[in-house]
Amino acid sequence: MSAPAVETHDLVREYKGGVRAVDGVTLRVGSGGIFGFLGPNGAGKSTMVRMLTTLLRPTAGTARVAGHDVQEDPDAVRRRIGVALQDAAIDPYMTGRELLRLQGVLHGLRRAECRARADDLLGRVGLEDAADRRVGTYSGGMRRRLDLALSLVHEPVVLFLDEPTTGLDPTSRVALWEEVRRLNRAHGTTIFLTTQYLEEADQLADRVAIIDDGRIVADGSPAALKAGVGHPLLTVTAAEGSSPGDIASVLARFGQVVPGSAPGGSGVRLPGGSAAMADAVRALDEAGVQFQAIDLAEPTLDDVFLACTGRHLEGAGEAPAPAA
Amino acid sequence: MTAAAPALRQTAALAWRSIITTIRLPQAWFPALFFPLVLMAIFTASFGGAPGAVPGFPPVRGFLDFAVCGAVIQGVLIAGTSAGAAFATDIEGGFFDRLVASPTSRVAILTGRLGASMALGAFQAVLFIGIAWAFGARVQAGIAGFAIVLLIAVLFAAAVGGLGVYLALRTGSGEAVQGMFPLFFALLFFSSAFFPLETMTGWYAAVAAANPITYLVEAMRLEVIGGATPGTALAGIGIALGLAAITIGASALALRRRLRVAA
Amino acid sequence: MRVIAVSLGLAGRNLLLVRRVPSVFIPSLVMPLFILIATAGAFHGIGALPQFAGESYLAFTIPMAAVMGAGFAGINSGMTLARDLEGGFFDRLQSSPAPRLALVLGPMLAAQARSLVTTVVVLLAGMVGGVMPPGIAPTLVIFAFALLFAAAASFWAIGVALRTRTIQAAPIMQLAVFLSVFMSVAYVPQDALTGWLATIARYNPVTYILDAARSAELTGTVVWAETWPGLVAAGALVILLGAFAIVPLRGLGTR
Repeated sequence: MSAPAVETHDLVREYKGGVRAVDGVTLRVGSGGIFGFLGPNGAGKSTMVRMLTTLLRPTAGTARVAGHDVQEDPDAVRRRIGVALQDAAIDPYMTGRELLRLQGVLHGLRRAECRARADDLLGRVGLEDAADRRVGTYSGGMRRRLDLALSLVHEPVVLFLDEPTTGLDPTSRVALWEEVRRLNRAHGTTIFLTTQYLEEADQLADRVAIIDDGRIVADGSPAALKAGVGHPLLTVTAAEGSSPGDIASVLARFGQVVPGSAPGGSGVRLPGGSAAMADAVRALDEAGVQFQAIDLAEPTLDDVFLACTGRHLEGAGEAPAPAA
Repeated sequence: MTAAAPALRQTAALAWRSIITTIRLPQAWFPALFFPLVLMAIFTASFGGAPGAVPGFPPVRGFLDFAVCGAVIQGVLIAGTSAGAAFATDIEGGFFDRLVASPTSRVAILTGRLGASMALGAFQAVLFIGIAWAFGARVQAGIAGFAIVLLIAVLFAAAVGGLGVYLALRTGSGEAVQGMFPLFFALLFFSSAFFPLETMTGWYAAVAAANPITYLVEAMRLEVIGGATPGTALAGIGIALGLAAITIGASALALRRRLRVAA
Repeated sequence: MRVIAVSLGLAGRNLLLVRRVPSVFIPSLVMPLFILIATAGAFHGIGALPQFAGESYLAFTIPMAAVMGAGFAGINSGMTLARDLEGGFFDRLQSSPAPRLALVLGPMLAAQARSLVTTVVVLLAGMVGGVMPPGIAPTLVIFAFALLFAAAASFWAIGVALRTRTIQAAPIMQLAVFLSVFMSVAYVPQDALTGWLATIARYNPVTYILDAARSAELTGTVVWAETWPGLVAAGALVILLGAFAIVPLRGLGTR
């Protein structure tokens, strides 16, 4: 598809009282990748998604999804998008299979097609055994998987996932990440995902836009954004017999020293990253400087957020990433 | 004697709190006033031609005189259910636990809620009869009769309040208690609350004749339309007292059971 | 047409819910039955009034119970929609290409289907009480009015749901339907009504609906002169309340 998956121009959503949940967002998301929309609670992520999925009308600006304008041609947009929202919008009294078939009906699929798609998707998300149980009995992870399946019934071109792993345990989270990656690889579905977890954006997204207070504050690939903050910080803590000053004088050869970055030691920004770390350790050794701890910290998206807004991203401490 | 004084004060305080919280929440008092009065108005306008034309209908000045006591009982029933639901909400929300963990007398927890129900029941009776009076109804038995109507209403309010508290203690859910209301409403309809027992036939008449509410309403009604005797008054008071004793006793037991488990 | 297919799909889901959620299912069957029994039993004596001309009060009450049952069915469809709106399931419906009209027609059709069931229950109960159904054509007339009133009540409740978006608005849905039926000839014929109620009833469309349904029930035939006012009244309600339900669809997405 040549047209961008999502394209917005100065998109605004204003509520009564002048509160602007989305304050002039201009975005261009090419098709075929995973796009992450990262921001703290209340930044405007969900509002953006609701506008892009035709659930909410923009106050100003334009938005095109899958090549169609959301306000002028909403039905065309709806036919091409899949939506899995924050509250896992499901009906607890229906079974998984019934919900999937209903979704097929809503999209105008014929009866036989509805059944076939439902069976296929149940298998894909691993819910065949639970298919005929009421959704009210599903665990949180199962509900998200069903939500994902529901959003795929009509083979959408663009899939919107609003905070898909919020509230999930780590195992379910990883499973969902895998499923999202697979969807993107195997079917070329463009994924537009919002999250408050920087690990999620970092792990999954090819491109990330960071939103704060309704505005985009950073936009680019995770690697590029992090590199833009600065080089990784190497911190070395002195042991008995050495002083922070000793450490600093050795490390100064490798990059810019950051005073006070490590209590009882010193830190330096290493342009060479982990490759240069080995050299630094060798240098300390040769100089006879004793150290008891050494750590290399890559900049994180939280550092990016901090650099852009002066604040830490909420929830940055949660959602520990399992070893990739 | 001295042990009773704090319990009395606590009862008054808790009763006051129940009354205030009821007043502040429209959905707690509105149905108890609105529905009985609306039905009373609709029945009066629909059945205005009944007195005199329907065999078995007691002699009355107007249908409104006949209907007002049924409305009072209906109102007390609705209010009692709401009170039970409120008590259950207290349990759900933790206020009950706070009471239990404080030096509040256990008896006061019960008597406070019942006291509030009785006060509200008295208010309803006065209000409804006042409204009926404004529209032309009169209490044939005068002040004494009005006092008896009030007494029966207050005792019935205690009885329904007790039932509500019992259900709240057993289910712990406000929704479950509210869900009982249709049952009570059915009970009310299968009595002579809205139309005379003498005009009913068949199995319906038999059921209504076996329903204690029938005699309760009759005792009150006779004071209003005339024909009451000390016998009917005592019967009504006795039934209300009996019902109250049963439900209050049951709720006291349920309270003890819950406290024992909690401790 | 897609509208029909999707509406039927949504109606099917509504009916599924009724079966599965006992707290909705049981009352919707029991309530019209209770109204029939309690009304016909408690107020049996009123049948002695000359305005009844000796008709059985049970037969007189059957159409009212059927109409109330239809009203309940309508209210419930609105409550389901309100729950969907509050719980987020409606988002799924709204973000799909389902025709907007189907989002209203679906629940309404479900209410109509349920009104057929409640009417059957009421007629059966009447038979148990000794009143036989009046004949094929008049019985169909009674069903027709149940369907029409179910549609009207459903549109009303749906309109309230779309505007309030919360299940807390359920009492508003219920009150309007109850009052519209009770402030008419619910318990006695028009000429037995007194005072303010007689006036209100004369202008209440439900009066004409009940009169027409009663004409079918009590005379055992379809007397056109007594039936068409009811049809007009029911039709007017359906059209007006239909507009009430459909207009908010255009504003979906502005909040």
